[in-house]
Amino acid sequence: MRFSISSGELLKNLQIISGAIPSNPVIPVLEDFLFDIKGNTLTITASDLDTTIKSVMDVRSDESGSIAIPGKILLETLKSFPEQPLTFNVSMDTKAIEITSSYGKYRLAGESGEDFPEMPAPPEEHNISIEGSKLKEAISTTIFATTTDEMRMAMTGVYFAVDMNDITVVATDAHKLVKYEMKNIPTNVVASFIVPKKGLSLLKGAMGNDDSVSLSFDRKNAFFSFGNTEISCRLIDQKFPDYTAVIPQNNNNILTISRTDILGSLKRIAIYANKTTNQVSFNISDGSLTVSAQDLDFSNEATEQLTCQYEGEPMTISFNAKFMIEMLNALHSENVRLELSSPNKAGLLYPDQDNSEVEIMMLVMPVMTHG
Amino acid sequence: MKFERAILHMDLDSFFVSVERLHNSALRGKPILIGGKSGRSVVSSASYEARKYGVHSAMPMRMALRLCPDAIVVSGDMERYSEQSRIITEIIREDAPLFEKASIDEFYLDLSGMDKYIGTWQWSKELRQRIIKETGLPISSALSINKLISKIGVDDAKPNGDQLIIAGTEREYIAPMSVRKIPSVGIKTQEKLHYMGVRTIQVLRDIPPALLKREFGKNGLHLWNKANAIDNTPVVPFHEQKSISTERTFREDSIDIKMLKSKLSQMVQKLAFELRSKKQLTANIAIKVRYADFNTFSKQKRIPYTANDRQLTEFAHTLFDQLYQRRQLVRLIGVRFSNLVHGNYQISIFDDTEEEINLLRAMDRLRKKYGAGVIRKG
Repeated sequence: MRFSISSGELLKNLQIISGAIPSNPVIPVLEDFLFDIKGNTLTITASDLDTTIKSVMDVRSDESGSIAIPGKILLETLKSFPEQPLTFNVSMDTKAIEITSSYGKYRLAGESGEDFPEMPAPPEEHNISIEGSKLKEAISTTIFATTTDEMRMAMTGVYFAVDMNDITVVATDAHKLVKYEMKNIPTNVVASFIVPKKGLSLLKGAMGNDDSVSLSFDRKNAFFSFGNTEISCRLIDQKFPDYTAVIPQNNNNILTISRTDILGSLKRIAIYANKTTNQVSFNISDGSLTVSAQDLDFSNEATEQLTCQYEGEPMTISFNAKFMIEMLNALHSENVRLELSSPNKAGLLYPDQDNSEVEIMMLVMPVMTHG
Repeated sequence: MKFERAILHMDLDSFFVSVERLHNSALRGKPILIGGKSGRSVVSSASYEARKYGVHSAMPMRMALRLCPDAIVVSGDMERYSEQSRIITEIIREDAPLFEKASIDEFYLDLSGMDKYIGTWQWSKELRQRIIKETGLPISSALSINKLISKIGVDDAKPNGDQLIIAGTEREYIAPMSVRKIPSVGIKTQEKLHYMGVRTIQVLRDIPPALLKREFGKNGLHLWNKANAIDNTPVVPFHEQKSISTERTFREDSIDIKMLKSKLSQMVQKLAFELRSKKQLTANIAIKVRYADFNTFSKQKRIPYTANDRQLTEFAHTLFDQLYQRRQLVRLIGVRFSNLVHGNYQISIFDDTEEEINLLRAMDRLRKKYGAGVIRKG
């Protein structure tokens, strides 16, 4: 099998899909990219069995066939070339691959394309169309809130709840939670599923803002396809915790403040907090927010006072600054609203803006205060 | 009678390799190199299988792989090694009267005067066995009258053995060894000594100290002292982060699991209250059980930072269940929280209820007012 392709074009596509290649593959062939040629169409695939990503591109080729090419060496080779046409010459008997560039020849050993695991076929039903920019935003607003704790498998992924005309996306690590509601997306189905973090971050990196993404799913997998790319993610087969029950009602103490002001302040104050616990205190009273932290082990201490709008009882409440910073970073509005009920109950953070298409709610648990 | 010190040196055998093997048994019996995989990195630890090929630590990785091409290269995980080192430190701290942590995998224990009460050598052997049993890591030790001889002796003990250098024999013990065996003698000093015709410690010790001073300056005197097995450096006690602990010896030895667990819960609640009062969190809990025959076992677990009664009680009970394996009368149980940091408990969205947190706070208020024993959960 012999084909010619632009080095830059190939590199661009491989770099997008290479994120799926696992660092410790279960089967060795997963260290490879699968090259599959039919006529003048080349489909390249990378997979870790749970997440599979495919990209289709044009190629000039003399025959059809498939070959698995070692990922790392191929990427390194392509990165070292300026843009130029390359010729791949594959011996289907020995699986030897010879790449010819304008500088010379490079030979590497491939593996049979048939050893590469098959990607599950996308289901016909539940085809939902979402704008790339919206989906991208939903992922980047929620994904940071997932946990890395493998003991809580369900929470290592992002929860999608589809409800006729809305899609709600939720992520939590048991200390913070983000709920992102996309409205007016016709789906005609009621269902929910949990997508692993890895697939979503690949998706986020691969899709452009202008792409229209088609989402379909069955009980085992979710599929995202756009442009010349397709991603399949094996769903996490677990029950997502009932997050609606834990959102406190009657949060009558409402703080409204400039997002960049409080973000900047937290970043500075956090430097003086204990490096393990990152705890900062909010002392809120009419029109003023005092942010402070101390690290008793090093005698470090910092305090800042910010102006804000506040309706409610004066209150002192403490949070992990890292959580707050992550949440504020994921928002874009000019002002944010923090709704509180009492110092030992969750705080609710909202972007202070009107948006009929999207509703965002972030929940963060405080650290216990005494007295 | 002249008072002799008793200094025990303990040194973990190819520590990093052993820790890696603990986590991946496939690495056992194979040549392992710990270090970066890039061309410029160096070997930070090599297994005995790899050392056979002439590989030693601090050797460039590229050279090591040329000597031993079959070696498996593992990039090190310092956090994992420190954690294991800390566990061993805790075991030593529990038993030793005075100890110094010389590095991540080396300890000096001062056991002087202990012989009056218990056999120092027997005690040392038992401590070594306890560390091996509780961590699964091979460790070698040597006991002598000072740090220098114990340090030299531990090389003889390796791998995974122990060595006793009886007081009075240390000069003869080191005499036939190469001068290179003296810590602080590097290649430069060795070459210079060889040039002077000095190869063994025996020859070195018979050289007049003045001559050595002329050749090596002040270090010459140190060298002469060492060659004569003289070393008075003290064991400097090591203060790591503090821990809090409590233990209870029962009036009568008991086998009543329900009672034991309920006592355990009380002890956990007492310590957890102490944590919260000091605004601290713990990330390590250990349980100790002493049976009627004085055999003592302990087990510890790394946990997420917490000061919550419920979580800590759950961890304590799980550890106790793992630990209490003999159907024997229990004489004592103990609880220890270590790895403490300043901070307050991070409330969880799903695991903590508002009622629970409020109850905890209310109980703490009562304890503050009327004393720690005033209230407890059943």
